[in-house]
Amino acid sequence: MERWHSVSVLSDIRPGEVAGVRIDGHEVVLWREDTPAASLHAWEDRCPHRGMRLSFGFVRGDAMGCLYHGWQFGAAGRCRLIPAHPQVRVPASIHVRAYGVREHAGLAWVNMEGTDGFPDHATHWPDDVQPVRSVHVRRGATQLRQAIGLEAVDGMAWRGSVGLAVHEPVAGQAMLHVVCARSGEPAPTPVALSHWASRLRDAVESGNPTATIMGELA
Amino acid sequence: MSADRVLYDWTPDVRSYAVRLGLSLMGVECRMQAVDMDLPAPHHADGLLAGECPPVLECAGVRLTRPGTILHYIARQPDVARAWLDPAHEWAILNWLDFGVSALDTLASARGAALATAMPVPPATGALDAVLRRMEDHMAVRAMDGHDWFAAPAASIADVMLFVVFALSADVGVERDTCPALRRWARGLRALPGFAVMPGVPDYA
Repeated sequence: MERWHSVSVLSDIRPGEVAGVRIDGHEVVLWREDTPAASLHAWEDRCPHRGMRLSFGFVRGDAMGCLYHGWQFGAAGRCRLIPAHPQVRVPASIHVRAYGVREHAGLAWVNMEGTDGFPDHATHWPDDVQPVRSVHVRRGATQLRQAIGLEAVDGMAWRGSVGLAVHEPVAGQAMLHVVCARSGEPAPTPVALSHWASRLRDAVESGNPTATIMGELA
Repeated sequence: MSADRVLYDWTPDVRSYAVRLGLSLMGVECRMQAVDMDLPAPHHADGLLAGECPPVLECAGVRLTRPGTILHYIARQPDVARAWLDPAHEWAILNWLDFGVSALDTLASARGAALATAMPVPPATGALDAVLRRMEDHMAVRAMDGHDWFAAPAASIADVMLFVVFALSADVGVERDTCPALRRWARGLRALPGFAVMPGVPDYA
């Protein structure tokens, strides 16, 4: 599970939307096609032309366009259009590096090393899940995982209907992703969970005990 | 009508941008008087009083120098859609507008230290981080309640002021992925008719 990083709740990446995320300091562009299939993509956040961040760009149908000169990249990151030279057949060597991406348990998961190895135990997580929110925490992922009782190898910690995941955008900072299973045990409302996550964040950052806050979910 | 309104405007100034953006979104025309505060005082602009700094709005005998007051004044003009200062949500709008004005002052000072000096230094961003976190927590919950905007069912002058704070916080190193709720909200504001850019705030992103 260590190679698959939970980078966003799925409600933050809807059809036609682009989001820049970071994984251990590496910049990744997460974007969803504006098509009926609405596939999700995770690529290196860098246009091969001039190095512009693709997350500043825009989605056009099933392609991602760079803000700088409008180069468009389609499936698997291959450049398909250079607007300044529309008649040119773009060589396959011009492409953006594509990463493995999965949508599961209300979260977007990215693997920068390939597409395989999504762990079997993740298939036991609930399917019908409502994404709640992602919360920024100014503490490293290890410290945040300890606070919520999550082993890195597990990927997610479940407390009743509430699922928690962590990723580290950059050393010393973490994102806490909160989701809620729709079936099963009664769960707090999303608004209550959002306030709960803020309180947990504040406790972790100030070094206060988190057991009581975590106990609210049991 | 536009000839009666004059805005003394300094293009790279964040407060001036908040006013330009508000005027454009509210569809209000104004005669723009460009000012360059980097020049020595005698060359700033004709009509700007000693000690004044843009934005300054001159209109019908009124002279306003604070961005929040200028947006408030513009939103009250008879030719502006009421939603920008929706009477049903006026206090919430004015409360977030006031929050935004203070936040913009915080941003302007950090951004000035980062960009507009001969020897730029990474600015202390603690105060700005606290502001953005409060905005993020608020908009996360607003979105769950089905709302797209800070204080009312439609975009208001509070959203204009707060957008400038968020959009230009990138200049002092605040990464977008730490504020997903604000990113979504900012995307909505960019899509409004009349949205205007400034250096550092492009069409997309």
